[in-house]
Amino acid sequence: MGLDPANQTGRDPAPGSPRERLAALRARLSASAGPAAPPSVLSLDLPAIDAHLPGGGLALGPPHEIAPAEPADAIAALSFALALCAARLARTQGAALIAAAPNQPLPHGPGLAGLGLDPARLLLLEAGGDAEVFRALEAALHARTLSALVGLVQDGLPLKPGRRLQLAAEGGTEGDGPPLVLILRPAEAGLPNGAATRWRIASAPAARDRFGTLDNPRWRARLDRCRNGRGGDWLLEWDHAAHRLRLPEPLARDAVAAGRSRA
Amino acid sequence: MTRLRRAGLAPDRGPLAVAAEGPGGLRLLALDPEAGALGLRPGELLGRVRARIGVPLQVYPADPEADRAALLRLCRWAEGYAPGVAPLGPAEAADGFYVDVAGASHLRGGEGPLVDDLAGRLARSKIPARIALADTPGGAFAVARFGAADRVVVPPGEAARALGGLPVEALRLDPGTVSGLRRLGLRRVGEIDALARGPLARRFGEALLLRLDQAMGRRPEPLAPLTEEAAYRAARGFLDPIGRQSDIVVTARLLMAEIAPRLERDGVGACALRLVLHRVDGVTRALDLGLSRPERCPERVATLVSLRLDRLGAALDAGFGFETVALTVTVTGPMTARQTDLGASPQGDGIGVLADALAQRLGRPLLRLGARASHLPERAGHTLPWTADPTPWPDHLPPRPLVLFPRGEAALDVLSTVPEGPPRRFRWRARIHAIVHAEGPERIAAEWWHTPGAPAAGRDADAANGGASGQARDYYRVECAAGRRLWLYRDGPHAPGRPAAWFVHGVFP
Repeated sequence: MGLDPANQTGRDPAPGSPRERLAALRARLSASAGPAAPPSVLSLDLPAIDAHLPGGGLALGPPHEIAPAEPADAIAALSFALALCAARLARTQGAALIAAAPNQPLPHGPGLAGLGLDPARLLLLEAGGDAEVFRALEAALHARTLSALVGLVQDGLPLKPGRRLQLAAEGGTEGDGPPLVLILRPAEAGLPNGAATRWRIASAPAARDRFGTLDNPRWRARLDRCRNGRGGDWLLEWDHAAHRLRLPEPLARDAVAAGRSRA
Repeated sequence: MTRLRRAGLAPDRGPLAVAAEGPGGLRLLALDPEAGALGLRPGELLGRVRARIGVPLQVYPADPEADRAALLRLCRWAEGYAPGVAPLGPAEAADGFYVDVAGASHLRGGEGPLVDDLAGRLARSKIPARIALADTPGGAFAVARFGAADRVVVPPGEAARALGGLPVEALRLDPGTVSGLRRLGLRRVGEIDALARGPLARRFGEALLLRLDQAMGRRPEPLAPLTEEAAYRAARGFLDPIGRQSDIVVTARLLMAEIAPRLERDGVGACALRLVLHRVDGVTRALDLGLSRPERCPERVATLVSLRLDRLGAALDAGFGFETVALTVTVTGPMTARQTDLGASPQGDGIGVLADALAQRLGRPLLRLGARASHLPERAGHTLPWTADPTPWPDHLPPRPLVLFPRGEAALDVLSTVPEGPPRRFRWRARIHAIVHAEGPERIAAEWWHTPGAPAAGRDADAANGGASGQARDYYRVECAAGRRLWLYRDGPHAPGRPAAWFVHGVFP
């Protein structure tokens, strides 16, 4: 957190030369004047969406909440979360951890290839409840070795664990920065929380290749809430080979599909 | 026999024998002096002996394991005389032990007093013993077993004279060699020693000369001393008992720091540790710590102990405090020294630390997805404990769903337009799914060794399709109108006149 003003003042040992002191003062002023930019973000490589997010991407460190639009879309929400994990893992070394409460859908190893996620880079923890999920995520944040954390919870993200996760992520930055933290909750369990962004994911008909067979998966993603940002609603397509999300080309077939997906 | 009497299992008086199963029935194995006085010999058939003598003979079954354990206890006790104590091996009837007193006899005032002291203490423990002290283990054995007196000290350099008059059995030879020597009229060790070595070796083999030379001190005979049981153990006692968690953690770190150099010397690390806490009132608490990789860093161990105590909380129940804390390395693994990069630590390290922390804090292992070579989708993936070196996944996998249900969930009210094709509409999870696109079929059958009707062979397979096991399944990737992509299968091939059973087995991203 080199840009954090509080830290800066506390650590500043009053450097000797006037030039250095001036530079430090400038840095402090710029940090406090503008909106405190998150130290690092995961850019989605989609200007249309990144513009809605503070810092131009999903902030690394604070938790993001992902919920299915309705109970039957739980797998779509899990796919979206794992796709974001894959995007993060493609840009860094390291592994991702999935900490799951009981009765949550767990990914099937051979199926991860469909999302472009290497199963060998995925760690699993079968926790006994939401509290254990949050403790595991907190421990993983403190350990600073993983690139992405996914928590599958039963009751959503309460305020206190959310704050604890936030604090654990702020402990310090080294290497590739803090991990991407995603909390996946069932559709019916919504709690007021301090998540940085809240997404609602619905299934959408997949892209077809030129032979008409199923190709890249697509989801209807609604950004419900975004701290210091704007909400939005997009049809997203996941390119598992390039490890990035795409906005489908506005072809007639896609428009039809997009319209039908909300039915 | 002595073991039985000392344990109070056998009476102190009366003829006593130990018998074991041998050729022709139970045979006597060992006799006490009273039974020996009746004219009994080891090796006789028990039934014949019973018929011959009129006195009731008490017979006990032989228990070689208990004998061995008793001998080891005695050896441990004898380590008070000198550190090098070796029990007699099977070739020596395993009923005694060697003490290597070289350099240690002066502690008891010389060799004679040492032997007297040992004999006296054994006698007070009611252990009959014959003791001999000689230059070589072989010589001492010969004199102790076949010498004239119970306590003999053979002066240095006089082994040849002391052994010369002893029978050839004293050389620890196998029975065949002994009888062969006797047939040639060679009864004494001295007679053999005087013969030319070449013909002797040709006639009886090298073993005879080896034993002879070992007894005479012409060839060395290394003893195999008892090994240390727990080489990696450290303990600390406290005058004032400790009870606070931080104290226990600090103690664990100090103990590990004590053990670490020994581990490092042997090139190993601790894979499992046991922290034993002895409470003042005699209650012992043992905490077993498992590590994901060999480790010898005291700080790491202290962190794990701290996390474990966090989880235990009040369940540890320090009471009035712990007076002794002992740390033992129960499992070791090879750990080679390696040079670490400056700045960057290897990725696996951090995950290993995290895995250990989670295992101690939550009591749950960190898992990893593993691949299994199987056609059956429910067998192809499984979870296994995380290890530092993952096995690579196969490169080319057929399309598989992201979430696979442990068993197929029945699709109801199936409506098909083509009899052998995929359904057009079905109900699953209280919802009607209208299929707009289907791909398939992909026929998946269990491997031939998972034969139908063998529930033990394909447990998962049987569970997956609810009883109708062993049949090939036709899988379809279908997309319904709402955009959900499901993995659907028909159990068994299409058969006219038989209603097809459809199941949903997984969901694609």
